[in-house]
Amino acid sequence: MTGEVVRPQILVRDVTKSFSGRVVVDVDELVLGDVPVEGLLGPNGAGKTTLMRLIMHSIPLDGGTVSLSRPGQRDVVLSSTRTSQMAGLGVVKSTQVITDFEHLTILDSALLAVTEARYERPFAAATDRAVRKRHEDEIRHWLDYFGFHDPLAVALSGGDKKLLDIVRCLLLQPAVLLLDEPTAGLSEDRTERVKAAVRQLASTGTSVVIVEHDLDVIWDLCDEVIFMAEGRVLLKDDPATIRANPTVVESYLGAGSA
Amino acid sequence: MNLDWLDAFLIFGAFKVVEIMGLGLLVHLQLGLTRVANFGVVGFWGVGLYAFGVAHLKVDWPFGDPYQFLVCAAIATVAAAAAGLVVGWLISELDDDGTLVGTLGFATIVVILATTQQGLTGGALGLGGLGFPYDFGRVKTHEFTWLLITTAVVALIFVYAWRVHRTPHGRLLIAVGANEALARSLGKSATAARLRMMTVTSGAMGLLGAMHGVMVRSLEINSLDVGVTLAALAALILGGTARVFGAVVGVLLTVALFDIVIQFYLPIPDGWNTQALPVAREAVFGAAIVLMLIFRPQGLLGQMRRPALMRRLHGDW
Ligand SMILES: Nc1ncnc2c1ncn2[C@@H]1O[C@H](COP(=O)(O)OP(=O)(O)O)[C@@H](O)[C@H]1O
Ligand SMILES: [Mg+2]
Repeated sequence: MTGEVVRPQILVRDVTKSFSGRVVVDVDELVLGDVPVEGLLGPNGAGKTTLMRLIMHSIPLDGGTVSLSRPGQRDVVLSSTRTSQMAGLGVVKSTQVITDFEHLTILDSALLAVTEARYERPFAAATDRAVRKRHEDEIRHWLDYFGFHDPLAVALSGGDKKLLDIVRCLLLQPAVLLLDEPTAGLSEDRTERVKAAVRQLASTGTSVVIVEHDLDVIWDLCDEVIFMAEGRVLLKDDPATIRANPTVVESYLGAGSA
Repeated sequence: MNLDWLDAFLIFGAFKVVEIMGLGLLVHLQLGLTRVANFGVVGFWGVGLYAFGVAHLKVDWPFGDPYQFLVCAAIATVAAAAAGLVVGWLISELDDDGTLVGTLGFATIVVILATTQQGLTGGALGLGGLGFPYDFGRVKTHEFTWLLITTAVVALIFVYAWRVHRTPHGRLLIAVGANEALARSLGKSATAARLRMMTVTSGAMGLLGAMHGVMVRSLEINSLDVGVTLAALAALILGGTARVFGAVVGVLLTVALFDIVIQFYLPIPDGWNTQALPVAREAVFGAAIVLMLIFRPQGLLGQMRRPALMRRLHGDW
């Protein structure tokens, strides 16, 4: 199949994953990316993070396939593609747990994300400055946007690391962006910035899937919401419908918060 | 050249310092940047030494030195690089313990091969007949010249390591060493990065092995001693694994101290040099590693200083 979709889509089919005999993900069929921004909701332990990891193939699947469709390009079976090739295909994920490269500065992280492999060989002649020149505008744009005033320092706070993770993702110019609790622990101001960045990205054709515990972020951003529990996709609908659904209210939102 | 002032043993002591410094710099790229703990340094160096010796002595080359040296040294470098690639690939899926056992095992295999392939290597007896790729009369002049040439090679290794820190290649190695999963998610092939690094650094270790063969002019099984690995590691860990000057400082405080200062400038009784001192040396190096790992694992020079370096490279940001 080639180029029949209008935006990048991920098709998850019959995907299962167990940890020590316990089924954690069991998704018959799920299409991600038929709207610009999708929310992925579900109680703790529902399997949201695991599903995203399975899509990135950073953990092996027990069964099933994940494939990627992009407008005008050949479909790719992600579940038989290495994690390190995902970014090249435009499939990018932020991590729920705060993560960074020890010792590397903020600018290092940004440069790492944008540098092409041919400049990273042992005897590549290009200097660091030459590589920086090629991507300076985009790096500056995102670092300024998120208020990184001293990119030559190492990111210290959890919030900075969390944002830096998002900056790295954005610099990869994703076709499909999976965000796993991107605003957890961020200040209100920074949360708004992330939301605006997601909106902008989605408006330029990226398909965004976002897991978030801050439900206001979900209701604000998402065109469609998927509800997961115990590894299964139970509902997929527009935010208003999901918000009113008794199952969702009961098992996830808790009394009164809807 | 009048070298009467220079003791022949001093030339050998200095050669050892330079040689271990070269190995330490290469281990710095492996362990300090990429977090690959290579405990088989002597194996890669030994592959170079033996490949050089066998190529030099067992092949009837249609040309003489210096071309014969250059060709055989190239063979040694390629052989060690290939060993680095293969060993790197074998350990690529292993954790730190697996890497330790794998590289140590590789060094053991090299010793076993060198011992058992008697027809090629002379086995436990060794092989003589290697020599300097030039001839201007006195042996001491030859040795001193070789010391200078080896110093130049190690200086090049230093420049390479220094430059790696300042290139996208070095950043990738640090990233892969620090957080492999995150590097992968950014589209980096961690395995390819490590294999390339292992190939290059192992090849350079092999070249140093070949240079050693010229200096000692023979293949001896005893030279494939774990002491080579130990000296390189002790120096680097003492100086600081993550700093490019770590190996330089460390070697001066370990190998230079033992093999030059103590051996030549301290009044130690005859016989100690050949018996007690080598044992004491290994014990002290081993103890230095253990003590540093307990009390100052980052070494004397301390942690990598990436922000300072980035300020130098991108201060106008
Ligand atoms: N690597 C792992 N090993 C064992 N169990 C895991 C692992 N990762 C996740 N789990 C379990 O799988 C379930 C789903 O986890 P996760 O996907 O992180 O849920 P969510 O992101 O929806 O909160 C949880 O019960 C969790 O404990
Ligand atoms: Mg999660």
